[in-house]
Formats: sequence, structure tokens, C-alpha cells
Amino acid sequence: MRNRIKLRWFGIAFIALWSLVPIYWTINISLQDEAQLGSKPAHYVPPSPTLKNYETLLTGPGPVPGQIRASAVNIVVECAAATIVTVVLSTLAAYAFARMKFKGRNVLFYATLATMAFPAYTTLIPLYQILTEFSLVNTYTGIVLVYVSGFLPLATWIMYNYLQSLPASLEEAGLVDGAHRMQVFWHVLLPLARPGIISTAIITFLFSWTQFLFPLVLSTDLSTQPLTVVVQALQGQHVVPTTLLSAAGVLAIAVPAIIGFTLNRYIVSGLLAGSVK
Amino acid sequence: MTGTRLPTRPVTTSETSPGQRKKRRRFDLLPYVLVAPLAVFIVGLALVPAGFTVVESFFKVDTLDPPTRFIGLGNFRQIFLDPLLRTTVVNTLGYVVIGTALSTILGIAMAVTLQHRFAGRSLLIAILVLPWALPGVVEGIVWTGIWDANTGLFNSVLTSLHLIDHYQVFLGQNRWLTIFLIEIVQVWQITPLSALLVLAALQNIPGDLYESARLDGCSGFQAFRRITLPLARPGIAVAMVQAVIATLNVFDQPYVLNGAAPAGSSVMIQTYLVSFQNLNFGEGYALSLLVTATTLLMSLGVVKLVYRRVEY
Repeated sequence: MRNRIKLRWFGIAFIALWSLVPIYWTINISLQDEAQLGSKPAHYVPPSPTLKNYETLLTGPGPVPGQIRASAVNIVVECAAATIVTVVLSTLAAYAFARMKFKGRNVLFYATLATMAFPAYTTLIPLYQILTEFSLVNTYTGIVLVYVSGFLPLATWIMYNYLQSLPASLEEAGLVDGAHRMQVFWHVLLPLARPGIISTAIITFLFSWTQFLFPLVLSTDLSTQPLTVVVQALQGQHVVPTTLLSAAGVLAIAVPAIIGFTLNRYIVSGLLAGSVK
Repeated sequence: MTGTRLPTRPVTTSETSPGQRKKRRRFDLLPYVLVAPLAVFIVGLALVPAGFTVVESFFKVDTLDPPTRFIGLGNFRQIFLDPLLRTTVVNTLGYVVIGTALSTILGIAMAVTLQHRFAGRSLLIAILVLPWALPGVVEGIVWTGIWDANTGLFNSVLTSLHLIDHYQVFLGQNRWLTIFLIEIVQVWQITPLSALLVLAALQNIPGDLYESARLDGCSGFQAFRRITLPLARPGIAVAMVQAVIATLNVFDQPYVLNGAAPAGSSVMIQTYLVSFQNLNFGEGYALSLLVTATTLLMSLGVVKLVYRRVEY
């Protein structure tokens, strides 16, 4: 028994250190200046913590802070738009799949699920060619269309499972009372499905935020490049100090980290629903 | 599949005119309206592009060498003759083996740690999920700060512990060390999901199984081997499949930590370079097709090997 408790403590310490040390280290670097960063051995805590790097990025002049700010706006716009469209379309489709009988339902349902088995990059080149054809490269529309097409299958699957788990009796009562199916959907089903919708929205938002290769190919200038692409591009330029780059990295992980940390309950339930096929 | 739980037709609704009602009895339009946008996305931006990938693999699609023309297996031949590509294939297999093994072992260990309730368990799950939620590219930058040759945490700790005399260059020197260290970064990202999947399977195991095992004099390790591992197999199988898919398609981490240097380059990096720098889309298509087919085959193989239906 003693041994088992010791082992559990070891496991707990390992999970905490494994997850947090790399993030702590980046924050630590971002709070130092370049001279301090050069110290050997390294400073395990910032000797004189400074927010100068963040100030430079958020309010400073020059091309690097400008790129960071523009791409931060881009990533928020793209993630928000992709999330809204995905959640609306997947919820509507899941309602039809879960509650209605129609010709072609099974074909479309399984075709949607089957696309999840393919790695995302299978369609990278054709999607680039299609967007080029329709002059959608370097547009928000193009990026959002690609994100939505990528995330719809999982979102539909999560919403379908969630709606299936709700009892149909309440809706039937509404229908017997003479309400239209869409009224029942809006007033009865949607309020009940809120946890499922929140899961779907969070997972879609996080997936959009982590994208790199798709936007790297589909957006080539600052009009649409998200933060992830710009931060990586800055890393390749040796004039950008590591301390400043770390601050940019912290900015890029702040939003998903806060969402992941505070709303993990929804993420866990959504992901597990999505994986038990 | 699913049975429809609703009556196919709602009872007479007050706002529909008799004419509409008659029309709708013959053909119920509503479900088609609801699924139409999904269908457009799935067909137009997933199935049709996937078909493109299959067909165009057999064509010469090169912006610098028009027009597009059928060349049979020419793209595939070119791929197999390319020594650089052989290197990246071997590298990628390294990523797959190291990443799948490590993420599965760590995922099982983490899930077992979280199996029974204790104070602070949900906080620990929140901490566990964190690396999964972050962009792979930025994780590459985060870990650059650890592996760095001049300022890295790893160098600093090893020097302080007197395990090395002076700072070392870890990435880009030895091929397998480079691959191992880069894969650690991806393992950091994918292990949380593995742990959650295994944990979900563990939570279905009835507690009295452990109780009777203990009464029969089973040690903790025996209980783990005889009860936990076999009953967690469905979860472990799904965890391994997601690891295989992620590692076979690895791009972000080697791209950030190692650039296109052959010592750690992956097949996906090679596909990106062939398509978008050499503009040889045909060969890119053929590569994508090979990666996709390999991913599907390996996923199936893992399921066959590891998955067992569990009944209590």
C-alpha cells in the first residue's frame, strides 16, 4: 500500500512537471533581457523580471511588433469565424441525422465520418489549387472554408452523439402541441444541447488556433497570416532576439492555454465522444 | 444505426396552409435543407480534393513544366529514386516508432496515476490537457528554449549536475539524437489525448475486480498486468491510432526545430518542399497518396493487433 501511494505521488509530480516546465521556461525567458539570457548556467528565475518584451510587441513601433499585432487580429478573426460556421452547420446537420429519416441519410453520414480517417494533409495540395482557382488564396473566406471543411466531420459526430443522448419525449410533447420542428429545435433541443455545443465550439476553436501548414500554404502575406505562421517566420530571422520571440510565443499560447486550462471539462467530454467510434 | 425517434410528420401545424401540407406529405424537404451545407463542404472540400489527390498522382502537374499530362507511375518512380526522400522515409518511421511507443507508455502511466479519485485530481487533469491545446509550431519554439545549444535549459541542468563539461549542440548533429529530441516535443503534444483515452477505458473497469484480486493475494503490479492492461485495450488501441496518424504526418515540430535539414526532415516536410517550393504538384500528390495509404494501413494494423472487444 505504501509503495502504491509513493508511486502515485511520483506520477502526480511527473504529470505536473512534464506539462508545466516547458511553459514555465518560455515565460521565464520572456521576462529576461538578452544579456541575462546569455548566462551560464541559465537563470532559473528571471533575475530582474521585465515586461519590456511584451511592451515592445504590443505597443512598440517597427516591423516585428506590427506583424505580431496584425497576425494576432487575423488568428482571432479566422478562429472565431471557423468556430461559428462549424458549430451552426454541424448542429443543424446533427439534428437531421439524429431525429429525421430521409433518403441518403446513411450515405452522407458515413461519408462524413469516413473523411475523419484520412490525415488532414491528404487534401493540402488540391485545396490550394481549388482556392487558387477561385482567387481565395490570402482571403479570410478561403482559410475559413478550409478550416470548416476539416472540422465539420468531428463536430457533426460530437453533436450527433450528444443529441442522441437526449430523450426525444420533450420534443414530441412540443410537436404534439403543434409547434414546427424548427421551433422545437430552437426552444427545446438547443437549450438541452448546450454542453455539447460548448464542447464542439471549444474543440473547433482550439483546432483552428493550432493550424500551421494549411495557413502557411494558403496565406502568403500579412492580410490573413495567423499568429502561428508569423511567430515561426520570426524564429528564422536571426535579428529577432530569443527573449522577444519567447514573449511572442507566450502570446500565441496564452489564449489556448487559458481555454484549455479552464474549460478542460468540455474538451475531455467532447474528445472522448469523438473517439469512441 | 439509429432509429428515428420522431414521427416522420408532425401533427397539423397551425401556420401551414393546407396546400403546403399536401406538398410536404409527399416530400419532406426539411432534413435536406439541414444537411445541405454539410454535404457541400464534405463533397466539395473533402471528397473531391481527395479524388484529385488519387487521380493527379498519375499526372505530371508542374507549374514550371506545363501542360498537365498523364505519366502513369512516373511520379512514384521519381519518388523511389530520390535518395533524399528515402532518408525522410526512414526518419519518419523513426518518428512513428519513438512517438507511438513513448506516448502510449506515458499515456498509460498517466492514466493509471489518475485512475482513482484523490484531492486535486481535476486540477491535475486540467494541467495534463494543457500541452494538447497548444499549437505545435509554438511548442517547437517552447522546446527550442530547452534544447538550445547556447541558452537551453537542458544544457544548463546537465552542466550544473556535472554530467557534461560544457554546453553541447544537441540538434542537427547526430541524426537519431535529433529525431529523438524532436519527437519528444511531439510526444509532449499528443500524450494528453492518449492518457485521456486510456483513462476513459480504465474508468469502465469495475472496482470489485481489483477488490477480489487483492483478496486473492494479487500484488499491485499483478493487478495492473492481469486486469488493467487487458481491459484498457480498446482505449490503448485508439490512443495508438491517433499517435500513428500524428507521427506519420509530423510537420510542425521538425520544421521549427530543424528546418528542412535532412538529419530530421519528415516525409510531410518533403511533400511541402516538393509541392510548394519546387512546384512539382504531381510528385506532391503521389507523396500525399503514399502517406495517406500508409497511415490507413498502419492504423488498421494497430487496431488488429491491439484492439479487443471488452465485456464485463
